[in-house]
Amino acid sequence: MSDTLLRRLRPSQVRELITLLIIVAIILFFSTQIDNYLTGRTFNRITTEFPIVAVVAVGQLLVVLTRNLDLSVGSQVALVAWSTGFIATEVPGINPIVLLLIAMFMGVVMGGINGLIVSFGRVPAIITTLATLAIYRSVLITVANAQTIETRGLPDWIVTFPGTTLLEFGRADIRLIFLIALIVVAVVQLLLTFLPYGRRLYAIGSNPDAAGMVGLPKQRDVFLAYLGCGALAGLGGLMQMAKFGTITVDSARGLELAVIAAVVVGGANIFGGSGSAIGVMLGAILIAVLDLSLARWIGISDFARDFLLGLLILLAVAGDIVVNKRLQKIWLRARQRDEARAGPPAAAAGGGDG
Amino acid sequence: MPEREEEATTGRPEDGDGTAASSAPAVAPALAPAAKPVMEMRGISKRYGEIQALDDVSLNLAPGEIHALLGENGAGKSTLIKVMTGVVQPDIGDILIDGQKVHIGSAFDAQTYAVAAIYQEPMIFPDLTVAENIFIGHRDRGRIVNKGRMRDEAREVLARLDVHLDVQAPASTLTLAQQQTVEIAKALSLNTRVLIMDEPTASLSAHEVAQLFATIDRLKAEGVSIVFISHRLEEVFQQADRITIMRDGAWISTNLRAEMTIDEAIRQMVGREVVEFYTRTESNPGEVILQVEDLGVEGAFEGISFELREGEVLGFAGLVGARRTDVGLALFGIHPAETGRILLDGKEVRIKNSKDALRQGIAYATEDRRGHGLIFNQSIAANITLPSLDRYLNRLRLIRHSLERATALDFRERLSIRAPGVETPASSLSGGNQQKVVLSKWLDTKPRILILDEPTRGIDVGAKVEVHHLVDQLVKEGIAIILISSDLPELLPMSDRILVMREGRQMDLVEGGDVTQEQILTMAMGQAEVPAAGGGTDA
Amino acid sequence: MDSAPTMSERIVQRLKSWEGLLLLILIVVIFSNALFATGYTGPQNQINLWWISIEKAIVVLAMAFVIINGEIDLSVASVMGLSAVVVAILWEQGVGIEIGILVALLVGLGIGLFNGFWVAVVGMPSLVVTLAGLIGIRGLAFMLIEGRSIGNQATAFPTWFEDMGQQPVSELIGVFDNIPLVDRMPFAIFVYIGLLILAGVVLGRSGFGRRTYVIGSNKDVAQYSGVDVRRHKFAIMTISAVTAALAGVLLASHLGAVRGSTAFGWELDIITIVLLGGVSIFGGSGTMLGVFLSTLLVLNIRNGLGLNNVPGHTQTGVVGLLLILSVLLPNMIESYQGWARRRSLARAARAARAGPDPAGGAD
Repeated sequence: MSDTLLRRLRPSQVRELITLLIIVAIILFFSTQIDNYLTGRTFNRITTEFPIVAVVAVGQLLVVLTRNLDLSVGSQVALVAWSTGFIATEVPGINPIVLLLIAMFMGVVMGGINGLIVSFGRVPAIITTLATLAIYRSVLITVANAQTIETRGLPDWIVTFPGTTLLEFGRADIRLIFLIALIVVAVVQLLLTFLPYGRRLYAIGSNPDAAGMVGLPKQRDVFLAYLGCGALAGLGGLMQMAKFGTITVDSARGLELAVIAAVVVGGANIFGGSGSAIGVMLGAILIAVLDLSLARWIGISDFARDFLLGLLILLAVAGDIVVNKRLQKIWLRARQRDEARAGPPAAAAGGGDG
Repeated sequence: MPEREEEATTGRPEDGDGTAASSAPAVAPALAPAAKPVMEMRGISKRYGEIQALDDVSLNLAPGEIHALLGENGAGKSTLIKVMTGVVQPDIGDILIDGQKVHIGSAFDAQTYAVAAIYQEPMIFPDLTVAENIFIGHRDRGRIVNKGRMRDEAREVLARLDVHLDVQAPASTLTLAQQQTVEIAKALSLNTRVLIMDEPTASLSAHEVAQLFATIDRLKAEGVSIVFISHRLEEVFQQADRITIMRDGAWISTNLRAEMTIDEAIRQMVGREVVEFYTRTESNPGEVILQVEDLGVEGAFEGISFELREGEVLGFAGLVGARRTDVGLALFGIHPAETGRILLDGKEVRIKNSKDALRQGIAYATEDRRGHGLIFNQSIAANITLPSLDRYLNRLRLIRHSLERATALDFRERLSIRAPGVETPASSLSGGNQQKVVLSKWLDTKPRILILDEPTRGIDVGAKVEVHHLVDQLVKEGIAIILISSDLPELLPMSDRILVMREGRQMDLVEGGDVTQEQILTMAMGQAEVPAAGGGTDA
Repeated sequence: MDSAPTMSERIVQRLKSWEGLLLLILIVVIFSNALFATGYTGPQNQINLWWISIEKAIVVLAMAFVIINGEIDLSVASVMGLSAVVVAILWEQGVGIEIGILVALLVGLGIGLFNGFWVAVVGMPSLVVTLAGLIGIRGLAFMLIEGRSIGNQATAFPTWFEDMGQQPVSELIGVFDNIPLVDRMPFAIFVYIGLLILAGVVLGRSGFGRRTYVIGSNKDVAQYSGVDVRRHKFAIMTISAVTAALAGVLLASHLGAVRGSTAFGWELDIITIVLLGGVSIFGGSGTMLGVFLSTLLVLNIRNGLGLNNVPGHTQTGVVGLLLILSVLLPNMIESYQGWARRRSLARAARAARAGPDPAGGAD
C-alpha cells in the first residue's frame, strides 16, 4: 500500500483496514479446513455471537478514549439482565420500549456513579471500577436472592429474540440483534467523528494535562463518557437477557475482559487518544469468528478458546506497536521530503542568532 | 512549563550592597505613542505562605508590541503569567482589558478575554491532527464538526503565519518547533490579542528560531501583543520593543529597547554590579585519558573528535540545537554512538548503556533536572547514592543507612546544600540546591570524567558561584570535565579548551585563552561575519 | 521553603498518617467484632480468619512490589489456578506430588519470564500483558483439567499434602506439639510470616527495594542514574508469577480438590488489599507495614461480617466501598481545605483593598 495512500487515512482507519483484512484471511483459512463453513448458518452464528460484546465494548471505548476504564461493566450487564428478566416475568405485557428504557436507565445510574467518583472525586478509574465491579455484583446477588430467571417465564418476543429476523438472503439472516449492534456502532462512530464532544474525548486521552490547560470541560466530558458507557452496558444487559433467557447471579462474570479485549484487538490505545467504534466492532467480530471457527475445528477444545484469546490480545497490541512505528516513519519521511523541496533555509534574517 | 523553582527559592539571594530595589513608585513606564494599552496589570500582589511571589507589579501592553519580560528564576515571571492566564488569582490588584476592569478566574475566562500562553513544552494533543489541534476547544464552532471546512480554515490560519504544514498530519509526527507553531496558529485562530511566550526558543535550532521570529513578526502585523520571556538576552535585544525587568517579585523597570543595554539589564536583574564571578585557579592538565574519534549518531551528530586530559575543562559551545547534549548522552551510554571510537587510556571501549559508562568512570549530570535528575519523593541521601547503590550494600544486599547518611552529610557540607536534613525529600529544595544534589550524586560515583550539561541553568547567582568553585576544585583533584554551557561568559573563563558545535557538527576546537566570545559565537552560528549585536558581553 | 506542598510531599505526608489511620480503623473493627460478632474472640476463629485467605495474603506481598514498581499483574489468580491444576493433573497421571509441585513452580517461573519479556523488553503496558495472561492462563488451566474436579475420593491427594493445608502444623511436625496457639496454626501461616518478614526487609532496607521505589517513581530518572530498569522489571514480574504459583500449590493442599475455576476472580481482592494498604496505583510509594495492616483489616472485616452471616459477595462489596472511600475522602478533604483557604485569602484581600490606598495607584 503506497505511502501517500496511508497518509490520507487516519491511523485508526489504517488499523480498521488491517483488522478487516485479518478477518477475511481467517475466514478464508477456515473455509479450507471446515466443511460447510461459508454458509448462511455460519454467518448467522457470528452475527448473533458478537453483538452484545460489541455494544458494551463501544461504550467502553468512550471511557477508554479518555484514558480511563470501566471494569464494572460485567456486573452492570448482569444486574440489568436479571432485573429486566424479572420485570418481564412479573409483567408479561410490558412494552418492549419501556423495558429498554428501564434497562438503559439502570445502566446510566451505575455508569453515573462510576463517573462521579472518577471524574469529580478524582479517584483513579481502576480503583473505582474494581470496587463497583464487586459492589454491583453484590447488589445483584442480594436482590436476586438465589432466584434464577428462567426462559419459560419470559414473554414470547423475548424468547424469540435471538432468532428474530428482519431480512433474509437465502440462509443468511439479518437478525435484529445484529442490526442493533450495527446501529449502535454507527451512532457512536458518527458521534465521535462529527460532534465536538467526540474530538474532546480524544484530546482528553491524548494529553490530559493540555486538555485542562486549554480549558476543555474535562470533568464533565469524562462523566458523560461514563454515562454513555453505562447506557450501552444497560442495553447490553437487556440483549443478554433476551438472548440467553436464563440469567443466574453469575451471568456475565468476566465480560469486562472480553470487552476490553475487543477494544484492544480493535486497535484502540488502552491509554486513550485513539481508536474507533468501527474498529471495536471489527475487534469483536474477529474474536467471535475465531471463537466459533475454532469450536468447529476438530481438535480444538472448548477450553482452548480463552487461551487463544489471551494470545490474540498480545499479538494485536504487539502488532499495533509495529504498525504505529511504521506510520511514524512514513510521516517523517514525507515531512523531510517536503522540507527538501522547500529548499535550504534562508540565511538567518537580521543577524538573529537564535 | 513554569518552573517549580520560581516559588521554591529559599529566600532572597544575598544583596551584597543592598539594592535600591524600586520600592519607590517609578516613572510611568514608557508607552508607545498614541496607543491605548490592550491589557494592563495594576498593583498585582500574590503571596504563597512565607513567600511574596508578586509584590505590587504593574505592566501594560500596547497592541502589536513585543514586550520582553526579564528576570532571574524566582523573579516572579511565571506567577505573573499565571495571573494573566487565570491559573491563579491575585491577592490584590486589578487586570484591565481595553481600559475595563476584568476578572480572569480560569482558563475559560482567559480565552474569553483573548489571552493565551505558550510554554516550553507544547500543549498539544499528539493523536489529533494539526487542524484538530488548532480548533479543539473553540467554543463558537457550532454543533457539527465539518472536516473539510476545518482543514481549509486551518490552512488559512497557517498561511497568515506564512507557515506550511500538512494539516492532516497527526501532531505526534511534528517536530517541537512545528508543534509550537501549531500552538501559535491556535492562538491566532482564537483571535488572541495577548500572547505570552515562555522561553519559546529554549529547545529550538538556529534555523527554527529564525522561523519563529518571522512568525512573531506576522503576529505583530496582525496587532497581537506578545509577552516574550527569555534568558537569551541577544534575542531579546533584537526583537523586543519594550523591556520590563523583574526581581524578587517586584517590578524594577520598563524601558524602550533603545534605552536599554544588556549590561544594564543584567545589573537590574541581579541587583548588583556584574562581577567576574567565574574564577579558575591555574590549570595543569595531565595525561590524555579520553580520545574520541569521529563519533556519530544518525540524525543527531557526526564527526566529533577530541581528546580530554586529566584535570582539564573542555567546554562545549554552541547554540541550542547544536546537539551537544547528544554527544554527552552518547558518552554516557544512554543513546550510544553508532559510528566512531571511544578510547580510554588508549584502549577502545564500548559504552552501550549507563552502567558501562559508570564502570568506565564516566558520569553525566543532566540539564533537565526535573525529568532526568532526581527522584522527587525520595530523600536527598537516597538520590545521592542511587547510581552507586551497590557500594552501599552489605553482604546481605541491604542498605547501610549509616554509611549512606554519612556520605550525604559530607556532600551537604562540601557543596553547601541548604536543607534541614538529608532525609528530607528532594522536592522540598530550591532549584539551586537540587542541582547540587544532582552534582553530589555524580561525584559520588567517583568519576574520572564528569560531563556537566548546563549546570548553572535556572539557578540563582549565589549557587552559580558555588558550582564554579566546585568545578575548580574538581579539576585540581584530577577529574576531567566536559562543560556544556550556553552561557558564554561562564564558558570562556572556565574552560581550558573549547569545542564549538553547530547542528551536530564540530566547527572548531580552540584554546580557551585565545578566543573571544564573538569568535565563538561566529563559529557557533556558522557565519563568517561577526553579528552586529548590541553591546560587548552578550550572554 | 515554599508553603504550597508539592504533590509528592502530599503523598509522603499522607503515607505517614496512612498506616496510622489503618491502625485506627483496625482497632475500631476489632472492637466492634468483639462486641457484635459471636465467636470472634475465640483463638480458633482468630487462626481461621487468616487460614481462609492465607494464599491471597501471600500473593499480596508480591503484588505490593509490582504496584510500587509502577506496574500491575492482573494474572496472579489465573497463575494460582494453573499452578493448582498442574499439581492436580500430574497427580492424576500418577506423577509424584513432589514433582508436581516442582513443575508447578517452574510453570510459574516460565510465566513470569514470559510476562517480563513483554513488559521489560518489548515495552508493552503491563496492564495489557497481564490482562491477556488473566484470560489466557485461565484458559490453559481449563484446557488441562476441562470440567473435572481432581482431589476427591479416587484422585485424593496424599495425606501429608492434604494435612499440610488442612491440619494444624502440630500434626505435621511433632516439634510444635504443645506450644499453645502455635500448635493449632496451619503450615501456610508460617510460610506467610516468613515471606512477610523477607518482603518487608527487602522492600524497606535492601538495594532491590530502593530500586523498586525509584523505578516506580520515575523510570527515566532511574535509567539515567545507571539503574538497569529492564532487568529489574523482569525480576519483578517473575517474582509475582512464582509467588502466585507457590500460593497455588498451597491452595491445592488447602482445598483438597482442584477445578479449572480455582481462585477465579481473586485478583480483585489482592489488588484491593495492596491499594488499601497505602500503595499508590501510580507507583513509587507504599510500605509493607501498610500492606500488612490492610491485610489484617480486610481479613478482620470479612471475618466479622461472616460471623454475622453476611454473605461473601457482600463482604467483597464492603471491601470495595472501603477502597473507594480511602481515596475519595482525602480528596474531598483536600478540596475543602483549598476552597476554605481561597475564601479567607479573598476576604483578606478585600479587607486590604478597602483601606485608604486603592489598588490602582501603587505604581
